[in-house]
Amino acid sequence: MPCERKPMRYGHSEGHTDVCFDDQGKCIVTCGSDGDVRIWESLDDDDPKSINVGEKVYSVALKNGKLVTAVSNNTVQIHTFPDGEPDGILTRFTTNANHVTFNNSGSRVAAGSSDFLVKMVEVADSSQQKTLRGHDAPVLSVALDPSDEFLASSSCDGSVAVWSIESQTQVAQWKVLQKSSDVTNAKSLCRLAWQPRSGKLIAVPVDLTIQLYERNTWTHVSTLSDDLITQVVNVVVWSPCGKFLAAGTVGGNLLIWDVEAKLCIDRQKHEKGFTVCGMAWHPSGGRIAYTDTEGCLGLLEGVSSSSSTVQSSKATAAKEANDYDDLFDEDDDRMLDEDMSDSRSPVKKPIMEDEDDDDDDDLMPATGRPRNRGSFLDDDDNSQDPSSVKLDGLPEEGGSSAVLPAVAPVVSRPVYDGPMPTQPQRAFQPGSTPAHLMHRFMMWNSVGIVRGYNDDQDNAIDVEFHDTAIHHAMHLTNTLGHTMADLSQEAVLLACEGTDELASKIQCLHFSCWDTHKDWMVDLPKGEDVRALCLGQGWAAVATSALMVRLFSIGGVQKEIFSLPGAVVCMAGHGEQLLIAYHRGTGFDGEQALGVQLLQLGRKKRQVIHGEPLPLSRKSYLAWMGFSAEGTPCCVDSEGVVRLLNRTLGNTWTPVCNTRETCKSKSDHYWVVGVHENPQQLRCIPCKGARFPPTLPRPAVAVLPFNMPYCQTTTEKGQMEEQYWRSMLFHNHYGFLSSSGYEIDSESQAQAEKEQQELLMKMFALSCKLEREFRCVELAELMTHSVVTLAIRYASRSRRMALAQRLSELALEKANQLQEEEQEDEEPAYQREYRESNQMNSRQAQQENGCEEEEVEEEEYPQEEQMDAEESTETRKKFLNPFKKGGKSPEKPSPKPVSREGRVNPFKVSGAGKSSGSPAGQPRTTNVLDSMTMSRKPAAFSGLSKQSKAPVLKPLAPKPKSKTQATLLQMSASKGNSKKLEDSQSEAEKVKPAPVAATPPVLKENTENKKPKTGFQLWLEENRKSILADNPDFEEMDVIKEGMGRFRTLSAEERLNWTEKAKGDSDPKKRKREDEDEEKAAEQMESDEASAKKKKPLDSSAKLSAFAFNKE
Amino acid sequence: MDPAEVEFLAEKEMVKIIPNFSLDKIYLIGGDLGPFNPGLPVEVPVWLALNLKQRQKCRIVPPEWMDTDKLEDIREQERKLDTFTPIPNPYYMELTKLLLNHAADNIPKADEIRTLVKDIWDTRMAKLRLSADSFISQQEAHAQLDNLTLMEINTTRSFLLDSLNYMYKLRSNLQPGRSKDY
Repeated sequence: MPCERKPMRYGHSEGHTDVCFDDQGKCIVTCGSDGDVRIWESLDDDDPKSINVGEKVYSVALKNGKLVTAVSNNTVQIHTFPDGEPDGILTRFTTNANHVTFNNSGSRVAAGSSDFLVKMVEVADSSQQKTLRGHDAPVLSVALDPSDEFLASSSCDGSVAVWSIESQTQVAQWKVLQKSSDVTNAKSLCRLAWQPRSGKLIAVPVDLTIQLYERNTWTHVSTLSDDLITQVVNVVVWSPCGKFLAAGTVGGNLLIWDVEAKLCIDRQKHEKGFTVCGMAWHPSGGRIAYTDTEGCLGLLEGVSSSSSTVQSSKATAAKEANDYDDLFDEDDDRMLDEDMSDSRSPVKKPIMEDEDDDDDDDLMPATGRPRNRGSFLDDDDNSQDPSSVKLDGLPEEGGSSAVLPAVAPVVSRPVYDGPMPTQPQRAFQPGSTPAHLMHRFMMWNSVGIVRGYNDDQDNAIDVEFHDTAIHHAMHLTNTLGHTMADLSQEAVLLACEGTDELASKIQCLHFSCWDTHKDWMVDLPKGEDVRALCLGQGWAAVATSALMVRLFSIGGVQKEIFSLPGAVVCMAGHGEQLLIAYHRGTGFDGEQALGVQLLQLGRKKRQVIHGEPLPLSRKSYLAWMGFSAEGTPCCVDSEGVVRLLNRTLGNTWTPVCNTRETCKSKSDHYWVVGVHENPQQLRCIPCKGARFPPTLPRPAVAVLPFNMPYCQTTTEKGQMEEQYWRSMLFHNHYGFLSSSGYEIDSESQAQAEKEQQELLMKMFALSCKLEREFRCVELAELMTHSVVTLAIRYASRSRRMALAQRLSELALEKANQLQEEEQEDEEPAYQREYRESNQMNSRQAQQENGCEEEEVEEEEYPQEEQMDAEESTETRKKFLNPFKKGGKSPEKPSPKPVSREGRVNPFKVSGAGKSSGSPAGQPRTTNVLDSMTMSRKPAAFSGLSKQSKAPVLKPLAPKPKSKTQATLLQMSASKGNSKKLEDSQSEAEKVKPAPVAATPPVLKENTENKKPKTGFQLWLEENRKSILADNPDFEEMDVIKEGMGRFRTLSAEERLNWTEKAKGDSDPKKRKREDEDEEKAAEQMESDEASAKKKKPLDSSAKLSAFAFNKE
Repeated sequence: MDPAEVEFLAEKEMVKIIPNFSLDKIYLIGGDLGPFNPGLPVEVPVWLALNLKQRQKCRIVPPEWMDTDKLEDIREQERKLDTFTPIPNPYYMELTKLLLNHAADNIPKADEIRTLVKDIWDTRMAKLRLSADSFISQQEAHAQLDNLTLMEINTTRSFLLDSLNYMYKLRSNLQPGRSKDY
């Protein structure tokens, strides 16, 4: 039975200490380097009696009411005990004494000093001194033989000597210690100890072992060791009965041997691993006091009880009788007898069963068999193998010792070293501080704060609402001793655990109730305690110690109950959702094994998460669990990692934030109180040096941003990826909310989608710039249809034709997909792939917001005309077929009626760019890129749906009118609105943007007669001649270029005039934009490269100039 | 300038409040404020904070510098140095007064803070007077005083300027007399 190690307590200041018991064992007496001797009534004595005996005390001994101390003023003093009155000086040295000790009767004191001397003094008459000279170095320790015949001393010179007191001569000397120059340098204090009563053995701590020497023959009889000892043994003490030996080591180990069995019966470790420098055995043998070099005092309780049984069964007789033959025979016999490997240790049995017949064999310390590995658990075979028994005759010992085999030091400490089970974490309320606090938060959530006070004056609960519009603050007296609380917009739920008399109670203050009875209370069945509770919308849930979850209506009607597979950890409610975390099993090595269930409690009840494991960081526990304000489950572990449920990825948990990363110091934490997805906010309270905040001063909530642990977020790519996926994750709730019939903020949803598509486009542009075309396509797969068209354009502009080609295929696929979907008219379910719902949603958004996507198309127009007619018609036809609306699209005179009639395939842009072979290729690239970026913003969130719904109209849709047109068409596709369309169409024609100017002459002529001229065109016509006159050899393009240059030099008013002239009859509302367009176009024509810079004055493009960097 | 005017300027300083109501962003000429989420700190100008506080619509979070430890440090620093130490807020005096008068219940150790700020103020005013005194007595043409707050300048401005004017007048009257003497 292992003894109990009491917690250490502070006794003296740091430094060497010593300890002893008084004769009766009533008090523990300690001394320390602070010069005090303290007398402790018990270990728990808060006010020990303190006697100051000098500056430093090196050693203390107590007998017959005399307290002898070795003090730093080179004296050995006596004080009376327990009064502590000085009672004279016993002896003096030239330096301080290192150790003092009484003889058995208390008549003599022996002291060893640093001046190499050992003195023996009669206590009654200090003039009777005997001085023992012979050591060549400071004396470490002295020990007096119980029969007063001999004195043993150890010294820094490496020797242990036994002196005859009578003759004052050395009778034996063993050079077993390490030499050192001074006590302070000595590795060990080397406290010697004679066996009490008989004095037959003397124990000498030698390095990692304790050697026992026999009286009179002065031969080494055995060695006590243990593999737990990794550092030098400092102190040894015998039990008063003389059967046990305790040792304390420099490494802080405390070991107790049964000496006869050479069996280590107990091993303790100093709780902090400090050096044990003083030990004393209680006179009755039940306990050992020990002190360390840090001045602390400890106690081992129940020492003798653990050993008495062993003792009683031992027969000490035959120990020397055995010789080797017997020994090994026995071993062999036993091996056969027991027919097993792991109980080779013979000692095991005797310990377990006292009357075992092996006893006789087991009790032979001298046999050298590996007996002293007392193990109550299974030993490891290898160490127990007889072959490992060594006969290590100690060389110092001469012949006699050589005969005696020593103990093999190969003993493995029998411990279970597999994974250790973790203490399962206790149930808690998320958002509460520990229950043992007098002032604590019982709940802090997004609704309000419930504080509990439990001090002398008051036992009360304060309920306070963040929004006073919900309810005014409440103050309740907590007569029932509630420890758990939850708070919702409707009610406060409180619960207490049961006591012996009272059952566990649930109390609900239903303040939003419209009748006069605002609260109800429920008693749980006897023996069932509330462990966790939560409130949802219209319901309350309580998890109990009976592994059950009880549901109540908010008015107090008992509803379903169900069992949990394990003890609950915490619960959270939101709307109709109930989230439960419970112990799924036993965790090992500091980890918790938690499971999580998510239930839907509304009309259609179902379990969404069926007890899947809850992921936590390594060696952490659950610290908070709840729902985001939008209703997504979220958990926080003790390592500060916040995880959000990703419903679109099969209900997995995605880490979204590590609060510890933002902490300034290691001991700081964030105490999470809420999670919001839109805006993305982690609301938490920063706690300096604690895990949770105090109630006063009232903590302030801080808002942390989310940051998903993506790779390489220092790079632009990583950043955008993180942003994109974070945006995706944090907007999952729209799908969930809409699927469960809640209202959603479609505007912010559209915003989110726009943001996502913008990010995709940025990533696309970046990959393009890095020439990662495959990656580009991968990104494009994530894009919505409309954005893919932009991507195509971007690709074609940056002359990546292969990419554009692939993208156009992709876009085609997407378009087809969309059509199918539309035809199937599927309901968007939130489980469906998010992109799809995106597209659906964006369609709705578009209907509201309108779409300016057509701008892009419009500007592409001239190029499209250049497209390979055959190919484009083919694709167009494909597009045309499913859409009857195509027929309604107004016919417009066009150089290529086919392409006009059908939807001009936006994916062919790339082909156009390629085949156009325009001399002004570079400027045009710029143009289109600009137009893309210009229209980028609306296009990002608009779109796709538009394209799919009315793709036919697209190429023709005039930019400025697009809004009305789109809306009209989508809403009343069947209505004959061709009139309006025509109107807008014609306007569109007029508004034909400047890029026309850049198109090759043939094309230009084509378009010219159908389209109203822009200001620049008008001007160019007028001035063409003069340009040609100046530069007769100019080609058409050069003329235009030159014209551009000249046009630019005109003053703003002049240009405006031209513009006015050009569209005198066009819609005045559109004028401004057109001007801009024109000017822009002109500018761009002029400057090949610096397009990004020039765009800046334009509002729309400035916003999107983010893409421009990729261009340059 | 009136102290009230200086106080008015100080009311434009931003301070954090924890509203107990919910309100969308409000758009004001001076800038957008909010949105106000119950329980979530938001920065608003002092004038709004005080107004809301008086209507019991919010709790005011004391500014970071309004803390006894920090103010004690400043006070020590202020006492140690002959020059003016930089002050955490250019309107420290006004803000202390405003916040402590209207929201003392939200500020821990309000009385201590009041005393500390008053101490700092007194120290600085004493320095200011001292430097004005030496400026005049040594008949310096100019002096440089850094880290003065508006309120501090304001307290001494009228008096110092007027007295300098008078002294100038007196001196210039003296000058011809002297020349006559010679």
